[in-house]
This record gives sequence, structure tokens and C-alpha cells, in this order.
Amino acid sequence: MSVEIFVTDKAGLQKFYEAIMANHETYAPVETFGKFDFKRVARLTECDPESPVAKTRSIKPLFFPRTSRVMKYIATSAGTDVSETDEDPLAVKRVILGAKHCDARALQVLDKVYNWDYIDTDYQKRRENTVIISTRCDKADTHCFCTSLDYDVENLDAMDVLIVNGADGKIYIRAKTEKGAGLLNSEVTRHASPVTEESATPELKKQYDAFAASFRLRMDYAEVNAKLSKIFDTPEFENVSGNCVSCNTCAFVCPTCHCFKISDEKVKDAGVRYKSYDSCNNGYFTLMAGGHNPRPAKYRRWRQRAMHKFVYYKERFGENLCVGCGKCTISCPVNISIFEVVNQVAQ
Amino acid sequence: MNYTKQIQEIAAKLFAEGKIDVFVGYRMNGFDDNQVPVLISGPQDISKLVFTDKSVFNLVNYLKTDHTRRKRVGLVVKGCDSRSLNLMLTESQVKRENLYVVGICCEGVVDDDGQRMQNCVECMVPDAVVYDELLGETLSGSQTLTGSKPYIVNVDIAALAEKPLTERAAYFEEVFESCIRCNACRHSCPLCYCAKCCIDQETATLYNGANTTSAAFHALMTWSLHLAGRCVDCRNCEKACPSHLPLHLLHKQNESVIFKNFQEHLAGVNPGDRGAFYKYSMQDPDDFIM
Repeated sequence: MSVEIFVTDKAGLQKFYEAIMANHETYAPVETFGKFDFKRVARLTECDPESPVAKTRSIKPLFFPRTSRVMKYIATSAGTDVSETDEDPLAVKRVILGAKHCDARALQVLDKVYNWDYIDTDYQKRRENTVIISTRCDKADTHCFCTSLDYDVENLDAMDVLIVNGADGKIYIRAKTEKGAGLLNSEVTRHASPVTEESATPELKKQYDAFAASFRLRMDYAEVNAKLSKIFDTPEFENVSGNCVSCNTCAFVCPTCHCFKISDEKVKDAGVRYKSYDSCNNGYFTLMAGGHNPRPAKYRRWRQRAMHKFVYYKERFGENLCVGCGKCTISCPVNISIFEVVNQVAQ
Repeated sequence: MNYTKQIQEIAAKLFAEGKIDVFVGYRMNGFDDNQVPVLISGPQDISKLVFTDKSVFNLVNYLKTDHTRRKRVGLVVKGCDSRSLNLMLTESQVKRENLYVVGICCEGVVDDDGQRMQNCVECMVPDAVVYDELLGETLSGSQTLTGSKPYIVNVDIAALAEKPLTERAAYFEEVFESCIRCNACRHSCPLCYCAKCCIDQETATLYNGANTTSAAFHALMTWSLHLAGRCVDCRNCEKACPSHLPLHLLHKQNESVIFKNFQEHLAGVNPGDRGAFYKYSMQDPDDFIM
């Protein structure tokens, strides 16, 4: 694929967005109750693709919905009828505007587990049919630490189209995948002019350097990962989990958490089976039918969450499960910072 | 409002005298001016303790966790927190002799944007009602209870009450639609201490774990009604809600109905008061029932 880079200004970008909304099913950050959720939009005035990173929820629910119907069943005297639900696992092509880099990266990480021993076809279809347009942040939020982790934020290829705010009001639009290039070819040419990679690269680099310099949180990822992998039994987990109220907010807003539970909405002999979000911080999460619970204490559940993010997933799939977005810290009612906790434990 | 020094002294004294095993207070989070609750188990960490108008979270919540169970606990409480503590004591969830309570005459706490929280503006009981030691000037706590200060209906409730029924219904529909069923409201509520909660069922028709609007409605309404006459308006639930839902609406309406109809009942103000719905009298009104 040849690299396609376009340059435009704010008005051109807005026209580009509007053209997308006119021709595709589009999802963008919409303000609801003081935070931004990704919702279906028809006009640019309804949404804010430049929503602040701290207040924007992840795009995970568009791929792994917070609740989906798995099947319907009805028990009759002749046996049990099981049918697929009428839910369409997304044959429609769609576009996401205003996704953050961390959210896009999170999907790349999730792809590994969804393509592992069981291939989740619904997730795959949603992934294939979605074009992700991601704007690079200009400034890090208080709790962001994406640049400290194991992935290259500057050359991230998790999104299909990258948008970067250059100097002097110039906005660079760059295709990152074939899907993205296809979208640009059909929508962007009227509102932006192509530039060569040589002329754009220094601008993109300059913007990234300014962005990377704005981070307050920095850590040595390799060191933290190596230390954590050796200290499963440290009593420090008991200390750091003391002020956690086990509310599970962190897992529900996390762009990479993917645990779920199965529940039935049942009336007499017929029912619908749902798959919904769950969290390993829940006391009953590991409770077995016989009554045994391998993680009865809060600190054990906390350890599982931290170690799964920073050690286990890396060992198994080669990627860190935490993408450094800071959403858990921002949402935490008692302001616990995952960054602070893993660093404290690793010390 | 800054009681950092006094609280550090009290904690040091308690540890020195061997009166407590753990002290629950606040510390700075180290990133901005927000605070994190902290459980201190020895005198070495006392210098971390702070108390300012950013000390928002109701610490009574920690009395139901593994880290404080069967231990002697030192605890900082504001007015609303102390009311929930009173209810915990009345409902036999904690033993008074295991607690050393540092009460605060609260001047109100502020939210993330530095604005005084609405529940503090409307607060009728700013002083701690249960304590071993009281810090600060007694404000008007006891006076307001005798009726010198009129009951203020919550601004949001008042605004909603003026809207037509269809608009109100649409508003609440959006609330329940936006709920993601993480149950953070329940976990952060100091008075939700049941070991097994009725909304955690896997196969029930109403309370299944699915994240449908109807399941969210039933879970939130059940929660709201279980807290009717017990909610102390500390807003832990709203702080925890990742969807930023106006959960206080579900409680404040109950509270105002109860205040009006049950001898100006305010939850947890009087020690041993079991709450409006635990008492029964032939004179109880029923005209507020839908």
C-alpha cells in the first residue's frame, strides 16, 4: 500500500467528517450526563470528535457490547428448542470518528484473545466492518501513561485513518490500512490535498514530540513487568488493595477488560441468554457451583487484575493488557491510580 | 476547612496508646489535588493523613471490608458519614466499642471542579452526630433539627417536579438506558452491606445480570427502595458511577416524602433510630403511596 497523506484545515476536516456521516453509519463521542459516549450520529453538531480524552468512554462497547443476546430457548414436551437470536452481528459497514489512540490500541490487544482458541465471529465481523478514525492527542491528561508502555504510540497502526493536528492550523490525514485508504479515496479528496510523505513526516514528528513531552507519568515498563512477574506472593498487594471498594467501575470502563458473565432472562420454560460485562473484582466472579471460591479475599482479586494486565497477558500473547489510558483512575470513586499501584508493588 | 494536623495527632496518640489496629483517613493522591482514602496500620504512615474540603468519600464504607473486620478501627467522619455510621451501629453491622470515631463539624466538601457539592449546600446535619472526639466549631447541626432551618427540597427534584410526566419519564428512561450495570453504586454505598444481594441473580426474570434497560431499572429501583429512609445523601454512589448518572434523584424523592410524612425523619440522626420504614404506627399516613 502506498502511503496516502492529505493536508487540510479545520473547515476541510469538518467537511470530511460530514461527508462520512452522510454516506456511512457513523459513531462519534456524544455528550451524555457530563461524559462522552460513542453513539450513532447523523450530524456533526450532535457530537464532538475532539472530546477530551479524560471524559471520553472507550469504543470497546461497539465491538464487545455491554450486553448481547447469545440465544433463545424454549423447553417443550418434545425437547428443548434452541434458536439463534434475531440480532444481526453487524453486516453494516460503519465508521468511528474521534477514537483515541489508546482505544484503538486496545482493540489490537483484544484481537489476540478473540483469535485465540475460540474465534469470536461476532467480534470479528464487527472489526472487519468498522473503519476507525483516530485523532492523536495534543496533550496528555493527568492520568495518561500510554508512552510508558510496550507499544509505539507514534507509529501506532491500530487505527485505519490517523489525524494529526499540525502547526498553523494544518491538519494531516493519513491512511494506515487498506480500509482507511479506501475511505479516504472516496471521501477526502474533495476536502483536502495530497502531500508527500517527506514533507509531512517532520510535521507529524514535531507534533508527537510535543505530545510526548507533556506526559507527567513515566515508568520503565520492562522493569515493572519483570519485577511483577516474580512477586506473586508479596504482602504489598494486601496493602495497596486496602482502599479499593470493589465497585468494579475500573473494569467496566477499561478498553481492554473482556471478562463476561452469562445470565438468563427466564419466564417459566422459555428464556433468552445474555452475555454481559463482568469484573474479576466481583466477589462472586470466581465462586464455583459447589461453594468454593479460589479468590475469596479482596487483595487476591486485586492481584489478579493487576497481574493479568501487566504480566499474564504479556506472557501469553506478547502484549501488555493495559494501554495506559487512565480511564480506571479517572472513574475510580476513591481515586486509586493503577500506575501508582503497579509501581508501588514493583518497588 | 483543614484538620490535617489535629487528625495526625489523634492518630499518633491512638497508635501510641494501642487503642486501634487500623486508622481510616484520607491522603493526597500524588497527582492532583484529589484525595485517596487510606488505611493506616501503624504509626509510620501517619504523616500521610490529611483532611480538607477535598476529603469527599464516605469512609464508613470501609467498615464492611476484609481490612477492618474484627479490628479496632479509628475513623474520620463528617456529618453525613456519621449518620451512616449511626445506621450501621443500629443495624448491628459494627460494634461501637471497636471504633474510635473522629467527628468533623463539616463546612461542606467540593467536587472535582472545586464547586461546593449540592448535598453540602442543602445539608441539614453538617456536624458529626456520633463521635469520640469532635473537631471544629459546632455549626448549626442541632438547631436545624429542631426546625429553625426549613427543609430544603433538592434543586434537581424541584426542577423535575415542574416538568410534565412524559418529559420526566423520558428523562429517567435515558438514565436507565445509560446505566451499565457495573453495580458501583451499590458497592460504594456504606449501607449496602448484604453478603448476597438480590440483584445478583443469574436466572431471575427481573434481576438477571444482563445489561438491559429493564434490568437496570429493576436493579436501581430496588436499590433505591432498600435505602428509602436510610439514605444519608453522602453521594458515594454518584462519585462511583462511571456513567455520571444523577442517582441522588432516586433517593432524594424518597427522603423528602419521608421527611414530610414521618415526623420529619432524617436517617441516622438519632442513635438507635431504626428508620422510618422499620417502625409502624396506626397513625402512619398512606396518602403518599401511588
